Amino acid sequence: MEPYRAERDPQEVAWIRGAQRGDREAFGHLVERYQKRVFSQVFRLVRRREEVEDLAQEVLVKAFRAIRSYDFRSSFGTWLARVAVNHCYDFLRRERAQPATFSVSPGDRDAAQPTALVDKLEAPGQDPERQAVLRDLVGKLLERAPADDRVILVLKEMEGLSVEEIGEILELRPGTVKVRLFRARKRMLENWRSLRQER
Amino acid sequence: MRCEDARTILVEVEGGERSAALREHVAVCPACRAYANDLEGLRIGFRALAAQSVPEPSWGFAARLVRRLDVEEWSRGADFLEQVGRRVVYAAGLLTLLLLLALVLPASGPLRGPTASELYWAQPDTATLANYSILPDETLESRELNSPAPNSSGAKGKP
Ligand SMILES: [Zn+2]
Repeated sequence: MEPYRAERDPQEVAWIRGAQRGDREAFGHLVERYQKRVFSQVFRLVRRREEVEDLAQEVLVKAFRAIRSYDFRSSFGTWLARVAVNHCYDFLRRERAQPATFSVSPGDRDAAQPTALVDKLEAPGQDPERQAVLRDLVGKLLERAPADDRVILVLKEMEGLSVEEIGEILELRPGTVKVRLFRARKRMLENWRSLRQER
Repeated sequence: MRCEDARTILVEVEGGERSAALREHVAVCPACRAYANDLEGLRIGFRALAAQSVPEPSWGFAARLVRRLDVEEWSRGADFLEQVGRRVVYAAGLLTLLLLLALVLPASGPLRGPTASELYWAQPDTATLANYSILPDETLESRELNSPAPNSSGAKGKP
């Protein structure tokens, strides 16, 4: 993943200024440059492959409509990440308000249940296998986590951003980010441990 | 070190930066060791999740997006024209209505209440209707027979 605080590229500045004047072709160049990053962020936040392209498109349309508000204080990547995070956050909240739906296909639903994953984890196995089980388990726990926890954990643990960068995206002070991150991690760990006790 | 404090530090601090006191506690406390192991498991899981393949934009994604923006801009322009057009139609309709009203109503005032004489001439009708209801039934019947409705042929209803 590219660094968030890249040097200001004059070409990029020209595209941004063009897009701010309503030049859609100039915005197209920005899309080409940032589309992969937006797809990655959207997928990690939402974890639904079939929804990613539509959501990424909505994020970028929103970004084009709001681009006049971009004031060059943060990097364009950070600003765009803010638009993506806010959009995905709303999507997750809306989804949470509806009856629970799982993204797994009916066939592997049982195998993908977190309790089944905890069982697998207890069984002796090779390291790569254990890693795959841990990955699926964390994925499931993430899907069940509140939207706030999910967003902050994805930005820190998967996007690898610093507390300061997360603060810029979420418009929070670094201290607040730290506190929220601590609580989110703790809640996730407790959910995992309570799953084990449930069995 | 209390277990609670040890766990707080474990969650707070990234791996590898543990103090001697913490390491000592984890070494002798099985519960906190299990806690630390779980936390490490979470980290491994997150790392593996981050390494997972991510869906890529399909070919021509950016071009399609620009086209969508073009279409939206165009339809927004069309909406604007439609709104302006609709307003022009409303305004013309309203103007026509006002003109018609001005022609139909007398010049002295657009709307008048009934005058005293109009009220006077309206009274006998009301009185007749009121009388009907207090007349005995047979009187009413004979009246109806004697004076058929103007639009009936006269033969209808008779033997
Ligand atoms: Zn302990």
